[in-house]
Amino acid sequence: MRLSEDAKKVLNATIAINKTSEKDRKELEELIEMMPDDRVLLYKNVDSNPVGDLPRYSIHIRAQHLMMFISFLLLAFTGLPVHYNETFWAIPFNKLLGGIYVTRIIHRAMASIFIFAAVYHILTLVFDTLLKIKNKRFDWRRTVIPHLKDAFDIRDDIFYFLGKKDQRPEMDKFAYKQKIHYFAALFGNTVMMVTGATFLFPDTIARFNPLPADYVQSVTRLFHPHEALLALIVIAFWHWYNVHFAPGRFPMQWTFLTGRLTREHQIEEHFLEYLRNLVEMPSERVYLKELLLKKKLLSREAEARIRTLKPGFESD
Amino acid sequence: MKKMFVGFSIFIAAIFYVFLAKAAIAADDENCLMCHKYIKMGRITEEGERKYYYVDEEIFSKTVHNRVKCRDCHSYIEKLPHDPVKEGVQCNSKCHSIQNPATRKDFDHNNIYDVYMKSVHGREKVAAKEVDKDKPYCIFCHTNPLYIPHEIPNADGTVRSAEVPAAIADRCDVCHQKREFVEHRYLHTARRILSVKRSPQEVVELCLTCHGNEEFLERHEKLHEGEGKHLGKKFTFAGEAYQESFHGKVTKYGFKEAANCLSCHAKSENYYLAVHDIRSSKDPESTTHKNNRVNTCGKCHTDANKNFARIDPHPTERKDDNPFIYYIANVYGPFGDMVTYALLGLTILETIGRKRDGIAWVLRRGSTWRKKSKRGRDRR
Repeated sequence: MRLSEDAKKVLNATIAINKTSEKDRKELEELIEMMPDDRVLLYKNVDSNPVGDLPRYSIHIRAQHLMMFISFLLLAFTGLPVHYNETFWAIPFNKLLGGIYVTRIIHRAMASIFIFAAVYHILTLVFDTLLKIKNKRFDWRRTVIPHLKDAFDIRDDIFYFLGKKDQRPEMDKFAYKQKIHYFAALFGNTVMMVTGATFLFPDTIARFNPLPADYVQSVTRLFHPHEALLALIVIAFWHWYNVHFAPGRFPMQWTFLTGRLTREHQIEEHFLEYLRNLVEMPSERVYLKELLLKKKLLSREAEARIRTLKPGFESD
Repeated sequence: MKKMFVGFSIFIAAIFYVFLAKAAIAADDENCLMCHKYIKMGRITEEGERKYYYVDEEIFSKTVHNRVKCRDCHSYIEKLPHDPVKEGVQCNSKCHSIQNPATRKDFDHNNIYDVYMKSVHGREKVAAKEVDKDKPYCIFCHTNPLYIPHEIPNADGTVRSAEVPAAIADRCDVCHQKREFVEHRYLHTARRILSVKRSPQEVVELCLTCHGNEEFLERHEKLHEGEGKHLGKKFTFAGEAYQESFHGKVTKYGFKEAANCLSCHAKSENYYLAVHDIRSSKDPESTTHKNNRVNTCGKCHTDANKNFARIDPHPTERKDDNPFIYYIANVYGPFGDMVTYALLGLTILETIGRKRDGIAWVLRRGSTWRKKSKRGRDRR
């Protein structure tokens, strides 16, 4: 396989970070040469354990996601019947909970879990990054920091889905979709927390807020419910689609529980991360090499080379 | 023998009569009930409104006015049978039949009447000006529900109980001896303690009968403009906007701690006087006047300062009320729609692309790649 410029950069950076030995580097070079240029062949033929093969999320991220999504859904379920309190479904729902005033108490309790998860997340990110920088293992391409390549990835992915391109773009650990999603959630959650606080402590916020409170309050009154609806639509239509309903992901990805991603998914949507896996996990190299030989998925160069070594080797 | 039997029957009947007949209760010295006791008494006006003239003696005997003679209030009645009534009841007249036990003078409502007359709602019973006719007179809010059977207040359709609990009356009886005295005093106090104050929810409903009636409000505004005066810009939609605010949303469903109309528009010192003393926000004495707002908000929001008092308790997104938020909402809405459609488009695109590539939409068992690609991409 001829690596792209991006892939070379990622590979070299990972080799440098891991201080990979000369022997391993040779093995890697050989393996990459053996891999077919068509990545579709790779991810269509690898073995995948539905609950996940390759590490992706730490226990902290998983805990945050769990807290976040439980509190988010309950926030939505208790926020909507307060906003749309006169609709046919909201009236019995509020009554079921014990009245609209109970609904909003639950809403606030859930908000505290939501805020806790957000603070926990920020602390995790900060300490993890600091630790990585200290150990000289920090690779910014492996984070959610957006860069220009993401824009090209969007374009290339749309072309691929339209049938104008052969392969999906080589994406990193966090693909463009995840980055958009992450920053949308970051913006949305910040908006929700700030506006929610101005509802719960209107007088205290107005005391510390140098801006005219009437304008601020009318903006927050508009943004809190609308941002919530937008978040719910993004969650329901996009996130759930991506992790549950998309063909190939149905009925769900187990990553949020196991922290592991299936091999086929890693190669398909996070190929650059898979290259890192190959550098970091010798067992993965052994597995892939055996697979390539067994299923005869070699690149043309490798085929030719092996044929000169072993004349009996055939591929159809 | 026969005579004895008849006599005995009469005796038994007399006993039954004594025990079962209603005791004469109300002080009807003027004998008004001679006619007004008939249930069917009433008429339908030319506008189609039902008028009831029936007075249920038993119910009336349990209202606050049970000791007041009819003609103390209906003072225009001078002969029987009386002429058609044109004036109606004035609430600022003296009750000659009741003395104020504190001053030993004839009882009247003039303390509260004077306060009310100075308030923004104040008007004479027979309003001289067209504008004033829209304002409420005493009996608009003080319906004296027990007096009019068809105006029963409880939601489940029952009459409010005006019975004195025996356990309480028995105890009072021991010293006060006269049961009638005990019952009267009990009802007098109990009514004031228990049921005379409307709940926040009922207050809002009451205010909204006028301040939530769009047609009425627009007409009233026009009448005012005809006189060269200008009402506040929120006059026509303040009630509706309040219902959409946080205060309104929870009060609407019976929450008692959020601000209702009176919490801000009436002073807090003496509730019963203050509710009659609602003033225009242009009046420097008003709780909603610019200079008093910090104090008014501060009753609940203890941290309130001048900045907080700027917050609008009747928020809307109307262009004529809050153009700032009107334009923001008009940008934000389409933005949200755009995001939704963009994501939906991407989702559809991805589904089509992946299906075409040969992915199976089935429960995963090992690999998800089950079918052949429709692009002829399967080299093996």
